[in-house]
Amino acid sequence: MLERDITVSNRLGLHARASAKLVQALQGFQANIFITYRGKEVNAKSIMGVMMLAAGLGAQLRLRADGPDEEAAMAAMVDLFERKFDEGQ
Amino acid sequence: MTMSVGVLLLTHEAMGGALITAARHVLGKLPLPLDVIEVEPGSDPDTTLRDATQRARSLDGGDGVLVLTDLYGATPCNVAQRLPGLGVHMHCVSGLNLPMLLRVLNYPEQKLDQLAQTAASGGRGGIFVDHA
Repeated sequence: MLERDITVSNRLGLHARASAKLVQALQGFQANIFITYRGKEVNAKSIMGVMMLAAGLGAQLRLRADGPDEEAAMAAMVDLFERKFDEGQ
Repeated sequence: MTMSVGVLLLTHEAMGGALITAARHVLGKLPLPLDVIEVEPGSDPDTTLRDATQRARSLDGGDGVLVLTDLYGATPCNVAQRLPGLGVHMHCVSGLNLPMLLRVLNYPEQKLDQLAQTAASGGRGGIFVDHA
C-alpha cells in the first residue's frame, strides 16, 4: 500500500471536470485508490465520491493506492494534480 | 466490443438537452449511446410514445435501454412506463439530475439492472444541504 499527501494547487480545486479527469485517468488501474480529506475517505474512481470531497484550492489530501499496480496508479494521480489537471492555473 | 446499455433521457422541455450539455462539459466524451426526448407542453402522449419507442429500439444494442425521466408521475415518466408493453427492454429511473447522469456515464460497463441501481444511488447521493 502506498500513501502520499498532496495539496490541491489548481484554482478551481477538485471541481466537476477535474474530478472527471481524475476518475477517467484511474479507471484502468486494478489498485483500489482512495482520497481522504477532512476525515472523509472516498473511492477515487467514483466521480460522485471525488466531487463530494468539495476540495478547493489549498486543500490537503491524502492519497492511498493499494493493489498490484499501485505505484503506477499513484504516479498517474500525482502527475494530474501537479499538472493542475491541465487547466493552466 | 462488449455490448452496452443505451440511455434515453425523457424529460420536460429544455431539461434533457441541458443535462447532456453539462455532462459533456464535465466528461468530454460520453461513453454510452445517448438520446434525448424533451416533451413539449400540450404534445400528444401517443406521438411521444411512438417517438420514444423508435429511439429506444435504435439505442438498444442488445443490453437494453436505461430511461431517465425528470419527474415521477409526470407525462414523460408515464410514457416511459408504457415502453415495456411495446417490447422495449428497459428500466426507468425517475428524478433525473446531473449527479445521476454523471454517475451513469461513469459506469458504462454495467448491465442494465445494475446501472439502474447506480443511477438511483447517484441521484440520491448527489443532494446535500450546505457543506457536506
